[in-house]
Amino acid sequence: MAELTVENLHLRLGGNEILKGVGMSLERGQVVALLGPSGSGKTTLLRAVAGLEQAHAGRITLGGKPVFDAEAGVDLPAEKRNLGLVFQSYALWPHKTVFDNVAYGLKLRGTGREEMRERVQAALNQIGLGKHGERFPHQLSGGQQQRVALARALVYKPPVILLDEPLSNLDAKLREEARAWLRELIVTLHLSALCVTHDQVEAMAIADRILLLNAGVVEQEGSPQDMYGAPRSLFAAEFMGANNRIEGTVAEQRDGYAALAVAGRTEDEPLLWGRLRADRTPGGPATGIVRLESVRPADGPGPNRLALDLVTSMYLGERWEYLFHRGPLKVRAYGNEALEPGRHWLEFPADRVWVF
Amino acid sequence: MSTSRPQSWARVSVILVTALVVLAPLALVFYQSFLDNPFFAPKVQFTLSAYDFVLNDEDFHSAFLNSLMIATGMTAIAVPLGGLLAFLIVRTDLPGRRWIEPLLLLPVFLSPVVLAFGYVVAAGPVGFLSLPAESLFGFVPWDIYSIYGLVLVAGLTHVPHVYLYASSALRGVSSDLEEAARIGGAGPWRVALDVSLPMVMPALLYSGVLVFFLGFELFGLPLVLGDPQGILVMSTYLYKLTNLLGTPSYQLMAVVVVALVLVTFPLVILQRRLLRQAGKYVTLKGKGARQTPLKLGGWKWLAFAILALWLVATVVVPLAGIGLRSVVSSWGRGVTLSDQLTLAHYRDLWQYPNLIRGILNTLGVGVIGGALSVACYTVISLAAHRWQSGWTRLLDFLVLVPRAMPGLVAGLAILWIFLFVPGLGVLKSTMISVWIAYTVVWLAYGMRLISTALLQVGPELEEGARVVGAGPHRVNMDITIPLIRFGMLGSWLLIFMIFVREYSTGIYLLGPGTEVIGSLLVSLWGTGDIDLISALSVINVAMVGAGLLTALRLGVRLHG
Ligand SMILES: Nc1ncnc2c1ncn2[C@@H]1O[C@H](COP(=O)(O)OP(=O)(O)OP(=O)(O)O)[C@@H](O)[C@H]1O
Ligand SMILES: [Mg+2]
Repeated sequence: MAELTVENLHLRLGGNEILKGVGMSLERGQVVALLGPSGSGKTTLLRAVAGLEQAHAGRITLGGKPVFDAEAGVDLPAEKRNLGLVFQSYALWPHKTVFDNVAYGLKLRGTGREEMRERVQAALNQIGLGKHGERFPHQLSGGQQQRVALARALVYKPPVILLDEPLSNLDAKLREEARAWLRELIVTLHLSALCVTHDQVEAMAIADRILLLNAGVVEQEGSPQDMYGAPRSLFAAEFMGANNRIEGTVAEQRDGYAALAVAGRTEDEPLLWGRLRADRTPGGPATGIVRLESVRPADGPGPNRLALDLVTSMYLGERWEYLFHRGPLKVRAYGNEALEPGRHWLEFPADRVWVF
Repeated sequence: MSTSRPQSWARVSVILVTALVVLAPLALVFYQSFLDNPFFAPKVQFTLSAYDFVLNDEDFHSAFLNSLMIATGMTAIAVPLGGLLAFLIVRTDLPGRRWIEPLLLLPVFLSPVVLAFGYVVAAGPVGFLSLPAESLFGFVPWDIYSIYGLVLVAGLTHVPHVYLYASSALRGVSSDLEEAARIGGAGPWRVALDVSLPMVMPALLYSGVLVFFLGFELFGLPLVLGDPQGILVMSTYLYKLTNLLGTPSYQLMAVVVVALVLVTFPLVILQRRLLRQAGKYVTLKGKGARQTPLKLGGWKWLAFAILALWLVATVVVPLAGIGLRSVVSSWGRGVTLSDQLTLAHYRDLWQYPNLIRGILNTLGVGVIGGALSVACYTVISLAAHRWQSGWTRLLDFLVLVPRAMPGLVAGLAILWIFLFVPGLGVLKSTMISVWIAYTVVWLAYGMRLISTALLQVGPELEEGARVVGAGPHRVNMDITIPLIRFGMLGSWLLIFMIFVREYSTGIYLLGPGTEVIGSLLVSLWGTGDIDLISALSVINVAMVGAGLLTALRLGVRLHG
């Protein structure tokens, strides 16, 4: 059953149309990541669901009950929607202790003293801060604050929790740990969560489904594997993962594949075949996208192989990253050893190249 | 779109009550100005005769011209001096600038009548300073009872107002900008002129208009220093009108009020415009601009001398004068002061029940009234908090209305309201009337203090509470108010000082039971009892000083 559905939501801020007909749904026990470039409207959508921004068209339903419906004139205020929200800045109340921060939602719901103490303590134990209840937020580290913000949103067991870039204020190392911890918590508590992020790795790690927003519309929606392995638009292909972009013209088209004449191609160089993902006319311009990890150094010429000059190799620890040039074409690839300077052959497997 | 759905009815009713309290007095004054008799008289007729009388009165003409001249003159003195002092304190390595700053702001919190009395006893014809000067030069090289003396005193005492705005603008200018000019080859004074000055120009312009406006409202200084020579200004003209025709001439007073407000209201609107513009520079400050003080080198001592001279002339002379006067039994030619030392004046105070009541009432209106006023300002500010609508724009405008009413006028208008509205009459002779008048007069100031505090509250802290399940009222009580409580405490202290020093608003409300030190001083001045005046003044200054010390102790920002 869908815990949360959003239908055709339109929202204006300061006279600009920010959301232009967004739709989505969140099933019980699922985590949906809202992914998109900066300014695409992720936070705005989250805030509209929370009741902190007012849309002017569309519907939002929580647990089958409409909380916003422009046509019916329904607009439940934020405090009546019974959601949990974790702000990017955590927004812990500086004048309340950790305990009181977490307890506030229960207090508002008229929970008895004894039960409240137990539940807050349980929530604090869960996030590993059982002994820190008497501290004030400024006495906690960033990672601890983040967990308190989460406990505050979870303690009254809202059917859906909303997270706005919950990990973005943590440093890189802490972030990866917190990511795993958050996913574990969400799964063990069977939470339904909507999580904003602009980090696609984070989105894929945490979420069951990803909603890719672009300039106020949903660009593509699907499982992380779909989003990464079968992007339906140039934008989606480029947004997910690390990519090489190859400009050229369509030379041939056959069986859902297209052959790309790469810009600056010499007569005897093979055409670059790839899956055709958009309507392209032969002779017209097209863009090939291939993930870095799909490009492989090859030992000699062959089909779907191009020769490029190595510019530099960078050691990344578990592997090497190479940068190749040939005229306007720049290609990055990974490998296991340092390469000799000079010309190298690279293979672009046709199944891994998308032509848009 | 609004980020929160406000409980509109509660907010709207607060704004409507504010509108009523603010607009009713002014409306009554306008109405009265077109009548031929007091508005409560059994038979009144509409007429323009009051306008006819006032506008053809030569005293009114000269009062208007004097006001214009004083306002212009004091602006010409206060703006350059205030700007200079701000530059010296904020941007240079002037010795002692840390502890000088609170002293610099002191005149803002001192009652102008007290300062004026101080000047009279120190630099008047037979003042403490005039007599030695006379024996030195053979004559007194100054005359504080002239219009020039008045302009000079008014100009010097308004330097802090300029200082406040100029210094905060200067703090916002990152010294990168100045250093860039230094590296480009400009000397320190060139930098001040070419880089720093243009950056603070909007603030100087704003404070110039502010000082000019305050000059038009001036009451205490011209009352004390101008009267002996018959120099009238707008407010003292109004004050003299009170009993011109034997009975209080309400319609004439109303016309003068209308004339005053017609001058001040456009100035208030102009100030608001300018403040918005000045704000554009202030936003630069956001991150806290990095600043390295300018090395003054040999100029240091000249700069220090300018500052010290101003401080002596504006703070030390009047305060020392009034303090000394309060402990000597007589003074004048051929009197050795050390023989005259006495505490009799303070003891004498106890024989006047009205003075004792005045002291207690002043404390009461400062402490209790101040707290209640801060509560009112908070409620009104919260009504507009995070709400963009026609109602909040109306409130923005309403706040300006009392700004345009000098305290004397507001006191008068509120007195009339108490006379006019049946049932309110009983309150007229209680401190409640004084408190209401004070609260209305300082509405804009108090609201600015509270909204400064509210600005510090991140919207997410309130939104977080909404999502967790708190309605708008709970958010106010549990989140917003606790978060601004230090700001409210600071506002309380500042309002306490302002209320304790207030003198003009209570004048028309003065009666048995509504005495406050400020209005008592003005009425005592009429009797010329300088012994009691000086003792009472010292008590007044001590109260303000206690407030100031507490504020400094607690680290309250004196700039609203
Ligand atoms: N109060 C506002 N008035 C006008 N425009 C706004 C307002 N708030 C946000 N916007 C605009 O709305 C757009 C979407 O903002 P939003 O905060 O939803 O982006 P986001 O996807 O969360 O971006 P980020 O990843 O940077 O957080 C942006 O272009 C932003 O400039
Ligand atoms: Mg965002």
